[in-house]
Amino acid sequence: MSGGGRRSTSTAARLSVLVAVLSVPAFTGVWELVARSGIVNAVLFPPPSTVAVAVLEWIRSGQFFGDLVASLSRVAAGFAIGAAGGIVLGVLTGQFRLVSSLLSPLFHILRPIPPIAFVPIVILWFGLSETGKLFLVVWGVFFTVWLATHIGVQKVDRGLIRAAQMLGTPQRHMLWEIVLLGALPYITVGLRTAVSISFYTLVAAELAGAFSGIVYRIEIAQQNMQTGQVMGGLAALGLLSFVADRSFATLAERAVWWR
Amino acid sequence: MTPSLLRPDQPLRLVDTYPPSAPALQAIIRVEDLSIVFDGPSGQVIAVDRVSLAVAQGEFVSIVGPSGCGKSTLLNAMAGLERPFEGQVLIAGEAMRAPRPEIGMVFQQPHLFPWKSVRRNIAHGPRALGKPKAEALRIADDLIEMIGLTRFASAYPHTLSGGMQQRVAIARALANQPRVLLMDEPFGALDAQTRAVMQDNLLELRERINATIVFVTHDIDEAILLSDRVLIMSAGPGRILRDLQVSLPRPRSSAIVAEAAYLALKRDCLDLIRSEGRRAFEQMEIRT
Repeated sequence: MSGGGRRSTSTAARLSVLVAVLSVPAFTGVWELVARSGIVNAVLFPPPSTVAVAVLEWIRSGQFFGDLVASLSRVAAGFAIGAAGGIVLGVLTGQFRLVSSLLSPLFHILRPIPPIAFVPIVILWFGLSETGKLFLVVWGVFFTVWLATHIGVQKVDRGLIRAAQMLGTPQRHMLWEIVLLGALPYITVGLRTAVSISFYTLVAAELAGAFSGIVYRIEIAQQNMQTGQVMGGLAALGLLSFVADRSFATLAERAVWWR
Repeated sequence: MTPSLLRPDQPLRLVDTYPPSAPALQAIIRVEDLSIVFDGPSGQVIAVDRVSLAVAQGEFVSIVGPSGCGKSTLLNAMAGLERPFEGQVLIAGEAMRAPRPEIGMVFQQPHLFPWKSVRRNIAHGPRALGKPKAEALRIADDLIEMIGLTRFASAYPHTLSGGMQQRVAIARALANQPRVLLMDEPFGALDAQTRAVMQDNLLELRERINATIVFVTHDIDEAILLSDRVLIMSAGPGRILRDLQVSLPRPRSSAIVAEAAYLALKRDCLDLIRSEGRRAFEQMEIRT
């Protein structure tokens, strides 16, 4: 009885693995069939084969690499600046009540405004320059990292701080060693969320007007009715965001090295 | 060593010496008319009420009392972690206003730095005081050997048992060679067997270090076993009721708790605590 149960469980497990492996090819196949059958307009809804050709052309022309570098450097620079600012100010607001009283109300008002909503004013302020794009990504990343750090610092075990005090730990070390490392598990969660957010804001930043970048390429292709290129761009963006998130997750696990 | 730790020719006495008549000359800790007040939800609460006491150099003193009697608050004031409302705490003649590295503390929870190995946890104090890394690590290694955790020197705290973690916490507090070691229910979170082992370890350790120890506990057995003197505190407000000399011979071990004479001593202490507990409870009933 129990043997039969076990066998059926393992069959179910094997079946679900098989379904998972076949999932994407099956959907791609259905997409190809539907797009070619004439049920839908193949110009607006191109088959995967057309998308693949467009992507290959994108790569061969050399534009892909330039777009990739442009987008990645915006995300990387915005993430680095926003994260550094978020961590520093998060430690300060989390640790010092006066700093928190000064900044937290302001941050809590600004934080819920979606970064995309700043696009019009950013264009007025910075025009179509790189500074404006950087501003948007920094804006999106900063508040997420700030809040995670602020909460993390406040959740640092007070006992750890008392123990460090009793051992004669100097004030400076207290802040940047005990408090920062004590909050690190929270900070890494905030940073990981911020990785996705930096890609969302990249979209807004490049749609607002750019001269290179993956989202810029999507927009140009849309204007030229190159729907295969549009979908190829979307796929590239999805893949990029996915790889960034996964590699950050691996990195974050190593960052909290004592676990 | 004699098989029985208690000799019949040595009568056991409870000598009440509270309040202290004249300040002991060689007192290293002196608490003078100390009051500590907290802001509670329904007004101010007096946690410690005009407490005076003196601890001599090298003495092992326990503070015993029911939970919430202010014994931990009193200890925190000795550590410089709690500000006096009135009165003062003098250690080595100097008023305690902030923690000082010559005063070590072991808490109920080990509070080890989770990101540091055992070795680095213990070396933290000497490093914080500006000792070179090599010297700090040498101090740590000596202490690791003393607590018998050589195999675990590079292990991280979460991989150790509660008892082992607390041993590391004690070694970490000793690394700065404190003149005074304050211990706040350090074995309170451990199971009974581990606790007995830890008590024996502490008795052995005490023979090797020359720190003055103040030990807070609610466990009367533990207090009598370890101490030269037991201070019994009352609750609401926190006051010291009695100051009892424990004239049991040393060296001691946890086996002492089965001795008849020890039990008589314990009974006296318990009677005191019980009558005090009843009084405090009745007072509370009247108030409410």
